[in-house]
Amino acid sequence: MNMRQVDDMFTRRAMVAAGGGALLFGGLIARLFQLQVLERERYQLAAAENGVKLELAPPPRGRILDRFGRPLAAHRQAGRVSIIREQAGDVAAVLREVSNVINLSPERQARIIAETRRTASFQPVIVARELSYEDFARMSLRAPQMPGILVEMAATRSYPRGRDFAHVLGYVSKASNDYIFNEAFEAVNASRERQLDRDFAKEFAGIRLSKSLRENFYVKYPQQAGILRAFHDTYGDVATLLKHRDMRAGRSGIELTAEHYLRGEAGFRRLETNAAGRIIRELPSEDLAPKPGGDVYLTVDAELQKAAIDRFGEESGAAVVMDIASGDILAFVSTPAFDPNDFVNGISQADYDLLRFSDRYPLYHKAYDGVYPPGSTFKMVVATAALEAGVINPRERVFCPGHYRFGNNTWHCWKRGGHGSMNMHTAIKQSCDVYFYEVSKRLGIEKLANISREFGFGQRWDLGITGGRSGVVPDNEWKLAARGEPWFEGETLNVGIGQGQISATPLQLAVMTARIAAEGKLITPRIIGIGPKPDTDIPHDQPLDAAHMQRMKAGMYGVTSEAGGTALRSGDLGLGGPRLAGKTGTAQVRRISAEERRTGILGGEQIDRKLRDHALFVAYAPHDDPKYAISVIVEHGEGGSKTAAPIARDILAEALRRDSRRAPSYQQTASMRNAGSQSEEL
Amino acid sequence: MATALNFNRRSLFTDILRLPWGLVLLISAMGMIGVAILYSATFTNPNEVDLPAKQATRLIVAFSALISVALVPLKYWLLLAWPIYFATLILLIGVELVGTTGGGAQRWLEVGPVTVQPSEFMKVALTLALAAYYHRRWHDFSGGFLLHVPAFVMILIPSFLIFRQPDFGTTLALFASGGVLIFMGGLYKRIIFAGVAAAIVSVPFIYMFVLQDYQRERVDTFVAQLTGESVNVMDDGYQIEQAKIAIGSGGWTGKGYMEGTQAQLDYIPEQHTDFILTVLAEEFGFLTTTGVLLLWMLILGLSISIALRCASLFGRFVAIGATATVAFYIYFNVAMVLGLVPVVGVPLPLLSYGGTVMITTAACFGLIASVHLSKEDPLAA
Repeated sequence: MNMRQVDDMFTRRAMVAAGGGALLFGGLIARLFQLQVLERERYQLAAAENGVKLELAPPPRGRILDRFGRPLAAHRQAGRVSIIREQAGDVAAVLREVSNVINLSPERQARIIAETRRTASFQPVIVARELSYEDFARMSLRAPQMPGILVEMAATRSYPRGRDFAHVLGYVSKASNDYIFNEAFEAVNASRERQLDRDFAKEFAGIRLSKSLRENFYVKYPQQAGILRAFHDTYGDVATLLKHRDMRAGRSGIELTAEHYLRGEAGFRRLETNAAGRIIRELPSEDLAPKPGGDVYLTVDAELQKAAIDRFGEESGAAVVMDIASGDILAFVSTPAFDPNDFVNGISQADYDLLRFSDRYPLYHKAYDGVYPPGSTFKMVVATAALEAGVINPRERVFCPGHYRFGNNTWHCWKRGGHGSMNMHTAIKQSCDVYFYEVSKRLGIEKLANISREFGFGQRWDLGITGGRSGVVPDNEWKLAARGEPWFEGETLNVGIGQGQISATPLQLAVMTARIAAEGKLITPRIIGIGPKPDTDIPHDQPLDAAHMQRMKAGMYGVTSEAGGTALRSGDLGLGGPRLAGKTGTAQVRRISAEERRTGILGGEQIDRKLRDHALFVAYAPHDDPKYAISVIVEHGEGGSKTAAPIARDILAEALRRDSRRAPSYQQTASMRNAGSQSEEL
Repeated sequence: MATALNFNRRSLFTDILRLPWGLVLLISAMGMIGVAILYSATFTNPNEVDLPAKQATRLIVAFSALISVALVPLKYWLLLAWPIYFATLILLIGVELVGTTGGGAQRWLEVGPVTVQPSEFMKVALTLALAAYYHRRWHDFSGGFLLHVPAFVMILIPSFLIFRQPDFGTTLALFASGGVLIFMGGLYKRIIFAGVAAAIVSVPFIYMFVLQDYQRERVDTFVAQLTGESVNVMDDGYQIEQAKIAIGSGGWTGKGYMEGTQAQLDYIPEQHTDFILTVLAEEFGFLTTTGVLLLWMLILGLSISIALRCASLFGRFVAIGATATVAFYIYFNVAMVLGLVPVVGVPLPLLSYGGTVMITTAACFGLIASVHLSKEDPLAA
């Protein structure tokens, strides 16, 4: 080959190579055409889906309102500080800076650092919540200089009336794993005929996070596989919602019983995110918005409740005020109480122990869960039973020498030296024990027990809130079951003056009083105005004889308004006319020995507070046109006329002054709602 | 008056005037397109906002390098060809012995404050050495097969070293551009066909016995997505799947500058380096992307025409070899991004962010320009 031939070959081959290269590049353009033109729709769809993430949006929880629409449980916007690890860089250094502005202990800082390590780097971790206004302002000002610090307002469940309705409302807190399990378990069982066994479900729940173990379970129990799969899915949904950082679940009270009514339904927020999951912006998501929970209206008057609690002052006790016409509970007092606000974000063990070990039992719902011997307030029940049974004529006189002998034992009247000759009216008015020993002896326990039940004793009133006790209406059958021995006749005498085995809640005493005031009508208490209906099995009570009830009312009027009445000082409501009618009671806490009885019964400062008697008072007002019924118990208040009656009087006066029973505002809401649905149907 | 400017006598001034300015301007335009796309690819990421400025600086440095290389007369490149080749070979051996590891491969050599990647130098060095080899042996071109054995060895030794790093992309590029030069050297057609056949037959063996695990996975992923299987989105196929979504969703005219959702939301790993084409395709669409590819073809075509107009064989081989080096960069990169070949980690010259490829590209075009300036010098062998 000479140079010329080499050049020719080179040129030829260069052209071949260039042609080959052009062919290869043409192939690239063809591929580009395929992707960008022919298949573009598929990839455009994929690109649109890529950047959108649905984030759970927890529903706003329904409020709880009183009968006039005052919020008892609502939402409060509270300042909150969070930290985002990936933006903060050195989390520890940033937290130290924060601690120069707001109070943040080194231990708390360490906990936050540990939590940021467990959380995805772009997810906020809460540093401090419930900031004071000053702290919030200061943090907002300084946050721009602190990398990764987020200062924002967030909705927190709040109880604007604090302790006033603690036991009725209950409280919300973060759901525990047990809570989530129970909810999922009940939801699955509620929707199926075939029921899942609780222990079996518990075992499954323990392993459900491991896919392979779960599959093993399905294989091992093929018959249960379907329901287990449903349970697994439900559990996942429930957990996702309830573990959201802004979600709280009802743990007691109406917050618990009306949980599903209050909760609402979760929605979603459409968020544009980048590949790392960081949120770029929020896209319109109205169509996916959460459905807010329903508002629950209570029958109570929050202002009356507050006045009643204030009236108790330092005393511990309970009071129940009812509207006699409707059975609406207007005040449901148990004092002292805890502040449910403290529980929303978790209460410290130290604070909880203070509540738990207090000798005034603030955690205890005394009006609904507290069972006390009704004492002399029970005498109207005994008298009614006697009239119904015809064992005594109301005009018949019984002589009271101050004590009563039966068998080998002696029973004492509260009045040393005795009342002398008593008929039914004077016996109620002066609360003569001997008269009622005699009457109950003639009655026998069975007849007494039957009438007690017609007044609502011995059964739990289901108000649709947690708690509620039935107390005890003793009889032969009860004693055989509880003690394994038959009823002794002597015990009937104790029950005859409301002591011994008989016990009742303040709510039951209020219902009793309302039924007397309403002359035998079957008044049923309720506290939920609008909301989930309690699944009450309506008590199979008979209306009581109106004529007998009029006698009881006359006796109760005597107590407060006739010479010799035990609560004469508390009869005037202070409203320039109307009086109340009531009955005192004292529930014995300790047994009084014969020796003490001889030397003088101790009382007041002479004995420990916790050994002093409970003071009771039941009443209605006005006496000639009863509107309100009340029961009051002052724990260790010594005597009904001394401590309980003045409190009851003042609360009744307050109810009359406030006209607490007037038509609740929610009736309007309800009728509007009905009208709305009707017009839709048309 | 007729001799005011004598273009036949070379001086620095006349050389600068005679530079292939059309080619240089097209290259500069491509570099500026690269900075603009890079800006869109990086501005949402706070860690990357200064990259476009860095790239622009590099572009200026590369431009100077291109001119400097061009102004060195070709006869000196002929003299330097072998020393450069052997020096680079020694550097490669140095990498083998004391190189630093990065991204799972041992590619870099730290020389004081500078980190160099000798495998990149080798692309240029091999072109120079092969051109010098064929230039001196031109009278043996009819000698047949034996002429090409030393050339093949010259390709094989550095390829082996680079493959061991491991750097599959560069190995492939060396073979491809070296192969082009052997083809230009007149290798018999039947041997070429035999070689191609042997290459095809050897594919399964290479796959099973030569490739490392991570390379095998890439090939698997590639085959899966070619056959339309849905590739595991979280693993290896993620990058290529997201790249296809970006490109495909660009459509005819794209989503607009800085409006690409895939690009702006960081869905594509390495979108500012190897996968920069996805940003272009997503935001500007099919028409503009094709335009950029055609611009590249124009640049490469001009380079080939320089080769064909050169008097010396050395110049012809250098220009073709340099063109082939850049062409394979582009081809492998685009084919990889479009899912036509496995992900091999080849950047796109002048568009991808990165210094090494910029320098290699500048050197290649500098040599081509040098060939242009010395096109009349026959460089007696």
